[in-house]
Amino acid sequence: MRKVKFIAIKEFYHILRDPKSLVIAIAMPIMMTFLYGYAITLDINNITVAVIDYDKTLESKELVDAVYESTYFSRPDTEPSEHDPEALLRSSQATAILYIRPGFSEALLNNRHFELGMTIDGSDNNLSAAVLNFSKAVLNLYLLDHLPNGIEIPKIEIAVQNLYNPDLTSSHFFVPGLVGIILMMISALLTSITIAREKETGTMEQLLTAPVSTRQILLGKIIPYIMLGLLDGFLVLAVAKILFDIPFVGSQLLLLAFGLIYIAAALALGILISAISKTQQVAMMLALTVTLLPPMMLSGFIFSIKNMPIPLQIFSNIIPAKFFITIIRGITLKGAGVEILAAQGLYLIILMAVLMFIASKKFSTRIA
Amino acid sequence: MYQALYGLIKKEFIQVFRDKNMLRLIFLLPIIQLLLFGYVVNFDVKNLDLDVYDFDHSSQSRELIQTTSANNYFKPNDEVIALKNLENNFKNSSSDMAIIIPNDFSEKLMNKDKPTISLITDGSNANSTSIGIGYMLQIMQLYTQNYYNIKPKGEIRFDVLYNPEAESVYFMVPGIVATLLTMITVMLTAMAIVREKEVGTLEQLLVTPIKGWVLLLGKIIPFALLGLLEIIIALTFGVLWFKVPFVGSSVLLFSLSGLYLITPLGIGLFFSNITSTQQQAMFFAWFFSVFAILTSGFFTPITNMPIWMQYITYLNPMRYFMEIVRAIMMKGAGLQDLTFQVVILTIYGISVFGLSALRFSKRIS
Repeated sequence: MRKVKFIAIKEFYHILRDPKSLVIAIAMPIMMTFLYGYAITLDINNITVAVIDYDKTLESKELVDAVYESTYFSRPDTEPSEHDPEALLRSSQATAILYIRPGFSEALLNNRHFELGMTIDGSDNNLSAAVLNFSKAVLNLYLLDHLPNGIEIPKIEIAVQNLYNPDLTSSHFFVPGLVGIILMMISALLTSITIAREKETGTMEQLLTAPVSTRQILLGKIIPYIMLGLLDGFLVLAVAKILFDIPFVGSQLLLLAFGLIYIAAALALGILISAISKTQQVAMMLALTVTLLPPMMLSGFIFSIKNMPIPLQIFSNIIPAKFFITIIRGITLKGAGVEILAAQGLYLIILMAVLMFIASKKFSTRIA
Repeated sequence: MYQALYGLIKKEFIQVFRDKNMLRLIFLLPIIQLLLFGYVVNFDVKNLDLDVYDFDHSSQSRELIQTTSANNYFKPNDEVIALKNLENNFKNSSSDMAIIIPNDFSEKLMNKDKPTISLITDGSNANSTSIGIGYMLQIMQLYTQNYYNIKPKGEIRFDVLYNPEAESVYFMVPGIVATLLTMITVMLTAMAIVREKEVGTLEQLLVTPIKGWVLLLGKIIPFALLGLLEIIIALTFGVLWFKVPFVGSSVLLFSLSGLYLITPLGIGLFFSNITSTQQQAMFFAWFFSVFAILTSGFFTPITNMPIWMQYITYLNPMRYFMEIVRAIMMKGAGLQDLTFQVVILTIYGISVFGLSALRFSKRIS
């Protein structure tokens, strides 16, 4: 145990002697929280839509007003030109153009069928899908307000109650999940690189000839990074609380426990990566490929898993971040207790154990 | 001199690929990115898990529930637990919303007496919740229109330009091209130069009769080439596997990629100037990449960001390159459409690379 302590202290000195890395290891999570909280909003609002009204009647003006009164759409800065309205789309000044054709109000008042035209810039398929849906909704509402005389439809009222995040703020969804992404990144990347560095600069041999076992080296190497990881986790949560006012309803102790299990899984991945790479460059590239993208894409952090193709849904089950993110959202936002998160927790523990086993095996055969 | 340069480039390639894993990674990275982004990125909100608490048990309420699964918006689940445990399904994320149909629903519907239903949502995923509520409103409209048999008379004819199939991978591939080029060049350049410092071989190089700028070129050309190779792999795979259309000129795309490359190479060089270990270099490069990717409009449109954040994005060179790649690939834009971006990138390239190169040659001489 004393030997482990010495290696851990040596590793601590490595970290402290390098203040630039330390500053970034601390600044990085804060910047990411900041960017994810502010820059990544999936709420689609104020899409610029130009309306060209060839009908010029009271009804068509009301429709134009209905379009811009919705929060979905806003007016472009430049009015579309008569002969080439699509220039607005090519220069990305507008996302769509709505044409109200002559005869619109006549058809509406006489209860005849009519058609509006809309040209959409489809390059961003999410935006164009939103335009499609929103404009149908706007038209539908408009039509309900302009039913032919004598017809009345009682609407079904929906009483909506949004739990946990009543104002539906995007950052409440992203920021807790970010803890999962950052812990994985910092823990796996740092351990993989620190071991690769010892190999590359030749100090690994010195360590190996010292009277310590590989297991002790491993343990000593990872303890500092467990602490750094925890520090980063706290930082993200603190920023989440201060800047984004994200609630923390559940048990902090429970989160800490799951956090440690998750960090252990991430460290095991880092060790595995370092065992199979010879240089720091390769370790970094491998860590990027394995610990940055899959946790971000396949964990439900941004994209919902149930909309993925089945093979990827199955594959997502070996990603520890998937379970940790469900857990941390459950604890911070919803106040879920251990009885509700038991299945996710168990999965996480199993994944951690398997990763640890493979990593320590690979490490001892490759290094020693 | 050319011989020296050639020798340096060759040495760099040998060093990069000495570990066979690097070679695999260089090819795998773009493919993994494409597969992940191609199949995963999907902002469609579909198949929301909907717990149904039907206290009416009428044919009308059952029909309403059926309507919710229209267009795959919702996946209704009517084998639900006791109402008092409703939240448990939210807490372990097995359900997104719960709809409660009161026992007077059908009666009120028949009497044209505005029935009310309750919708309780797991609001933590703000985006899918607000879209889901929108779906529910649409579904209620659809249901009442069907129930009272009133068909709307108007419709919109849509004409979607540039990506009519609405494939997200078509939109993602240009983004991946820009991301890969930025990350690879900044990271590898920064780390390669610092590596020589860390292992101590920089001094050996400096005592050779190689001029400073030759050394510089020998260090950056390999990574410029690797960056371009990554683009070729990503584009080839995208076009062959995902059948991504490439409308514009590939010559223009490659020339402008070359122009853009100068900036990330300069940034990589800058990071190598201010760091002394590969770990530091990697960290700085990574810090920059995260900033560049998140503010480039890769994931979400820049117009959705808060205004002050939109101003910050103008500082990001990748933002302009992203616009260039998307415009060329998807809209077939020519050089005249991209003048603004090209001018900005030229200014960026000259100033960033110029300053870093100056500092580099000062430090080594």
